[in-house]
Amino acid sequence: MAKVLEGPGMGLMKKWGITVPHYVVVTSVDELTKLGQANEWLKKSKLVVKAHEALGSRFKLGLVKVGLDLKEAEAATKEMIGRQVGSITVSQVIVSEMIPHKEEYYCAVKSTREGTDLLVANCGGIEVESNWDRVKRLAVEVGQQPSVEAIERLAKDAGFTGPLAKKMAEFAGKMFTCFDNEDAQYLEVNPVVLREHDRELIALDAVTLLDGDAKFRHPDWNFAFAAEFGRAYSKHEMEVMAVDSKIKGSVKFIEIPGGDTAMLPAGGGASVYYSDAVVARGGKLANYAEYSGDPPDWAVEVLTDKVCSLPGIKNIIVGGAIANFTDVKKTFGGIINGFRKAKSEGKLKDVKIWVRRGGPREKEGLDAMRALKDEGFDINVFDRNTPLTDIVDKALQGK
Amino acid sequence: MSILANKDTYVVIQGGVAGVNAARRMAEFCYLIKRSLNVLAFVYPPDAGKTHEIPYGSGLVAVPIYKTVAEATKNHPQINTSLVYIGADRALKGGMEVLDDPHIKVVSMITEGVPEKDAKILAHHASKLGKVFNGPSSIGIVSAGSCRLGVIGGAFDNLVLSKLYREGSFGVITKSGGLSNEIIWICSQFADGITTAIGIGGDAYPGTDYVSYLDMFEHDPQTKAVVIVGEMGGDLEERAAEWYGAKKRRVKLMAVVSGFCQESLPKGMKFGHAGAKEGLKGEGSARAKSDALKKSGAIVPTTFGALGPAIKEAYQEMLKSGQVKEPVEPVVLPKLPKTIEEAMKADEVMVAPLIRTTISDDRGEEPCYDGYPASELINKGYEIPHVIGLLWDKRLISKQEAEIIKRIMMLSADHGPCVSGAYATILAACAGIGLSQSVAAGMIIIGPRFGGAVTDAGRWFKYAVDNKMSVDEFLVYMKKNVGPVPGIGHRVKSLRNPDKRVKELVGYVKSLNSKTPCLDFALQVEQVTAVKKDNLILNVDGTMAAVLVDIGFPVDSLNGFFILSRTIGLIGHWVDQKRQDSRLIRLFDYLVNYAAPKRREVPPLK
Repeated sequence: MAKVLEGPGMGLMKKWGITVPHYVVVTSVDELTKLGQANEWLKKSKLVVKAHEALGSRFKLGLVKVGLDLKEAEAATKEMIGRQVGSITVSQVIVSEMIPHKEEYYCAVKSTREGTDLLVANCGGIEVESNWDRVKRLAVEVGQQPSVEAIERLAKDAGFTGPLAKKMAEFAGKMFTCFDNEDAQYLEVNPVVLREHDRELIALDAVTLLDGDAKFRHPDWNFAFAAEFGRAYSKHEMEVMAVDSKIKGSVKFIEIPGGDTAMLPAGGGASVYYSDAVVARGGKLANYAEYSGDPPDWAVEVLTDKVCSLPGIKNIIVGGAIANFTDVKKTFGGIINGFRKAKSEGKLKDVKIWVRRGGPREKEGLDAMRALKDEGFDINVFDRNTPLTDIVDKALQGK
Repeated sequence: MSILANKDTYVVIQGGVAGVNAARRMAEFCYLIKRSLNVLAFVYPPDAGKTHEIPYGSGLVAVPIYKTVAEATKNHPQINTSLVYIGADRALKGGMEVLDDPHIKVVSMITEGVPEKDAKILAHHASKLGKVFNGPSSIGIVSAGSCRLGVIGGAFDNLVLSKLYREGSFGVITKSGGLSNEIIWICSQFADGITTAIGIGGDAYPGTDYVSYLDMFEHDPQTKAVVIVGEMGGDLEERAAEWYGAKKRRVKLMAVVSGFCQESLPKGMKFGHAGAKEGLKGEGSARAKSDALKKSGAIVPTTFGALGPAIKEAYQEMLKSGQVKEPVEPVVLPKLPKTIEEAMKADEVMVAPLIRTTISDDRGEEPCYDGYPASELINKGYEIPHVIGLLWDKRLISKQEAEIIKRIMMLSADHGPCVSGAYATILAACAGIGLSQSVAAGMIIIGPRFGGAVTDAGRWFKYAVDNKMSVDEFLVYMKKNVGPVPGIGHRVKSLRNPDKRVKELVGYVKSLNSKTPCLDFALQVEQVTAVKKDNLILNVDGTMAAVLVDIGFPVDSLNGFFILSRTIGLIGHWVDQKRQDSRLIRLFDYLVNYAAPKRREVPPLK
């Protein structure tokens, strides 16, 4: 799943005929001033300014300002741009018009195993969270389109009446079309508001999650995906992602500040069991990592380099199940090169390395790891006869 | 018995390289269990009409490649299963094509990164047709002793270690490919091994889930227990728990679930598998799954490590109750034939080498010339003449000798466009012929009359010096036994119009004050012959020959110096013509003396 920030998310909705407020994404006050001269709405409307970054609880951080005129919006922009929040620097803000309204509603589209769920409620904002029973659902089978009548029934079921029921049904229909055509996995508009002057339904705030695997058939997805865990990706994480996008197989890396147990395991499945074992033994993870699908040795070397660069680590867990087709000797070759480089740069002092692995050319790979002992590495190597996560137990003994 | 894949399973593989690699692995398994190769066809339009040669034992099996699935199943009606290895962007199309083929009952998609929407469409289509769609991102399916689909099970040694050559009593269903192999191994070490193991893939919406296969295992009497390896995200484990708890089941269910670490990690973090992600509202957590499974009566060890002992306990109970018997292991198992390289490494075979070399070795990180690494030669200041010395005469020549060779090469690199060799190259270049062929055209000309006299000149000057002949004795001997003295005589140069190159070379060599018996002898010969006829001078071939023999180069290598040097010139002439985009040339008829008979009538054919 790939999260999309509000700006590009609203762009996709607009593309499928959903009315969204006027908005601009800017990186400087200057840009906003120039846009103000060119666009009437910026001069006439009350404005909202929000930090356009993958940040949670922006309101609490003072990164959302409402009810501003252009001058005040410029001031807010100036204040927000360049602000440091944790590891993230705010580099963009989104400025949009406020829509005067009295009523707030809710509409979402969600992928399910059986197809797609279309959700509608005649309440919105935070109200919907506490009134989940008021959200009504229309299940659409894989490959099917919901009929106009079915969506109207859904809207009526949710408590919409008269012409508004028809309008809400139309809105929900467009949401479904957008979802279906943009390979979305989750689309939520909360709130949907009724604009007072023309009684049109507007998507005021949206969450957009797209299927990153479908990027190949969406040439207009010219935006970067945002991290989904409340912070931006770090430099090292982005470097590993760049490698991952270039190779056969995969390498993954996420930093977890404050941990002391570094992870360098193989396999999308086994890596999670290794992480579980560290947590279960009272260890603190310094990262999540994983390589799989017989990646080239240089890619594993880059990953190793990032793992060795994690601050304050005491153990590195080079775990892995018995591989089906990942060449153990080759991938371990990458890890060994990474270790040697790290050592020559003065890293890995007082760091213990724990290895467990099986698979094609396991003997050669494990022997090469064992030989690192002679080069002064503090390394402990185990083969398939040691159960998968026992190296974590050994590493964290006495914790 | 087993589920999904058995001795009657015959396979078409859709895709290119990865599919061929899978076929090799599958052939290893077929060889281990002594069945013929179960891959009957490939579908890969770019190579349609060709075959892939799949190693089986010590032989090769040719497997045909077709353009469409329909062609494959028409030619091989036994095919009932497909493995899909085509790229994510074409997986939907290929998957639909194969599902719609009436011969196909089971499709396992190995392709990773298939868009969720496409995977759902494929799964939905398969279920409408009553077919099995396994994957995407599946590692494959293996039924011990009967059928392997994909690379699941790993290398040949691992197949043997995991006892996949005969049936056990445990079914395995996993999302992870690597862990499927781990569980197969655990089942073989702590119990009697597996019946069938299935990788369903780690995507959010796999085509088939645990329940689809639990139902099949429930109806397979050989399978006594099923191990599932789950992870956070989605609701497949909950569904499995629901299935197990719904009524008394014949099979025992054992499960582990991963993702407890999510509780202490940033929410929304992405793990290796696309589906390994808690829902926005925390649904599908490892804890919820593990609790649901426990509640249903399944055995759920707290860690992955505890799974082995739990499997052992379950197996011991089965043994005690007489539900299973200890398996009988075959006395002899087929061994995968080694490649020659592997067998030689293990000192098991001796091979009579086909060729023998004494000058160079390319098997290390870089080539070694007569034992010296090329880069070290460069770094220590050695040059091209030294490499010539090493490769032609297996010795490291001195700086002074290298200087002489360098001068010889510089002097003989080219002699203008008119000489036979260069002219031949130019002629070829003008005809649009490529570099190597054009240079070869010039090279072919090198022989007894053009440039190729160096070796012979050296041979006879050396013969005379070795046998301490006088110039007169030598000339008599040559006249009687050989003919004109090689290295003596020039087409245009003469005593009065000497060859500057010869003068230059002789001058330099003489200035070095080293012993030059051959050169001295050759110069004496010239003094005699040039008196007889003005142009019977020591030519450049003869001079080079005498100097090189004096340095100690073997006679047979001497023509090499001319060939090597003149190649520089020939390449130059080719590039020169190419640069000018020269047109095809032919002789003018006024340059030909037409001495053939005049035109006449052809007599009737007899």
